[in-house]
Amino acid sequence: MRMKKMLPLLLIAVLAMALLAGCGGGQEGTSEQSTSIKVGGSSTLSPIIAKCADDFTEEFKTWDKVDAGLPAEPIVIFVSTGGSGFGLKSAVDGTFDFGMVSKDLNDEEKAQFAEGVIVQLGSDVLDVAVNPQNPIVNVKPDLTTEELRAIFAGEIKTWKELDSSLPDRPIVVAVRDLGGGASEVFDKAVMHGTPISPEALQIPSMGALAGKVMDNAETIGYVSSGLVNQNPDKIIPLSVDGIAPTIENIISGDYKISRPLLLVSPSQPDAKEQAFLDYLQSEKGLTVVEDMGYVPVAK
Amino acid sequence: MKSKREKPFIAGVTTIAVLSSLLLLGMVFFMFRESLPIWSDIGVFQFLTGTTWRPVAAEPIMGIAAMLVSTLWVALGALVIAAPIGFGCAIFMAEFAPRSLAAVIRPVLNMLTGIPSVVYGFLGAAVLVKYFEATFDLASGESLFAASLVLAIMILPFIIANSEAALRAVAPQIRYAGLSLGVSRQYYTVHILVPMARKGMIGALVLGLGRAMGETMAVLMLAGNTLLLPISWFSKGEPLSALIALEIGSATPGTAHYQALFAAGLVLVVLVITVNLMMNTILAGLKR
Repeated sequence: MRMKKMLPLLLIAVLAMALLAGCGGGQEGTSEQSTSIKVGGSSTLSPIIAKCADDFTEEFKTWDKVDAGLPAEPIVIFVSTGGSGFGLKSAVDGTFDFGMVSKDLNDEEKAQFAEGVIVQLGSDVLDVAVNPQNPIVNVKPDLTTEELRAIFAGEIKTWKELDSSLPDRPIVVAVRDLGGGASEVFDKAVMHGTPISPEALQIPSMGALAGKVMDNAETIGYVSSGLVNQNPDKIIPLSVDGIAPTIENIISGDYKISRPLLLVSPSQPDAKEQAFLDYLQSEKGLTVVEDMGYVPVAK
Repeated sequence: MKSKREKPFIAGVTTIAVLSSLLLLGMVFFMFRESLPIWSDIGVFQFLTGTTWRPVAAEPIMGIAAMLVSTLWVALGALVIAAPIGFGCAIFMAEFAPRSLAAVIRPVLNMLTGIPSVVYGFLGAAVLVKYFEATFDLASGESLFAASLVLAIMILPFIIANSEAALRAVAPQIRYAGLSLGVSRQYYTVHILVPMARKGMIGALVLGLGRAMGETMAVLMLAGNTLLLPISWFSKGEPLSALIALEIGSATPGTAHYQALFAAGLVLVVLVITVNLMMNTILAGLKR
């Protein structure tokens, strides 16, 4: 009998403890700082880094296997997502050892890492893409930056206005959320501050945006080159100012609509962090970048 | 009799109950604090009635009128679709359904509530959007209507369950009195049962409205997320919940953009709380 009555009390105690544990969570992290590497930021980069971290941990298991000079502690690498802005901020305030950033840094941002490192792993390239059923693929596969700007700003509203041989149907402009990394890239390379048309559909993920282009013959959108390459006959990339988004043009820098994939740290990495950085920049790391659909930096 | 052993138990549950309520207050306070610069710099009126949303432009302009209208339009639209179906279903279940049929329908309806909203959104995006494009020859099929339609399905189980409960709460004496006067079951249902249960049924609607306003995933995938002020049910729009879900990931903490999203969240929370208070008032009126 007594036990039965004690049960709710016990339950309450456990619940209260869980509540308290939740409050104290913030402090536990700091004591682990020396034994684990924490990486956080851009949602574009996090799958790449997470995959590399998995491979790295799987291959070496303990740090002394990576380099005999390191202690025989297990390798622990945390990767968390929260956007490029979050990555920058958290790297600076020390929440993470490395911030993942998928955008061009301005001079002010670069200055914060003058003492530390900025490592580029690759580029995320945005292809201006349409559905294969869209006659523009044959009629006008090359747009100027100015035409693109006018389309995305909503100044050119129908395909016919773009070229008289195209159908008199509305252009469906599909973009990622305004303010996100991809929008920023497109703004810098094409829009130059012109607001995106208020009629543009904002699509919650790059995968869904690619899906929209595949499903809808009247859509034009900017799609990650990786997704375009994975769906060769379903999404057709257009050239911009006569330059097609080919690997050569991207690496040479002639194709402008792209952003770098960066890891940043405000201080010099210690031996373990350096070992992981080296792994990321090795053949294995860059292959992951390529497999995920991005263009790796020249090996 | 209160034994000595009960006292710590009562103290314990009281503490937990108070803490849970404080959680809500704390959340509203936190959102208010995070969004304070918006209210003081832009102004409540300007923020709520502005129709331009350019949070990351060189000179940011932030007004959420288009999103506010989208939220209300989508939620009220869902209610318009769900109310007749929900009430009809509830009346059938409470009054006309054979016991065996009700035993099948009720668990199925309850199960509908457990389906993750992302699944609804995904199905809507895959089926509804394409259907609208093909049937109405639209350039793109996303619309507030599509979002309302899916939301209606999502809130139906709540409306049905709560209306049915209200109908069943009508005292059996009234039923016997009514039927003994020789009225038909149809007359009894329409003129006696439903009017007696009407407050509870309105409460069910209001509960559905609250849920519809806060729902995020399905509207995010179906409403189209354009920044234009919607002018019809078939316009595209971006409800508040979709706005926050889309942009919070890329907003840098501490910027006006981030604060504005918190302000939008606060507006949504206040809307939903208002709706819930309305429901409590209705239910309190019912008990009296």
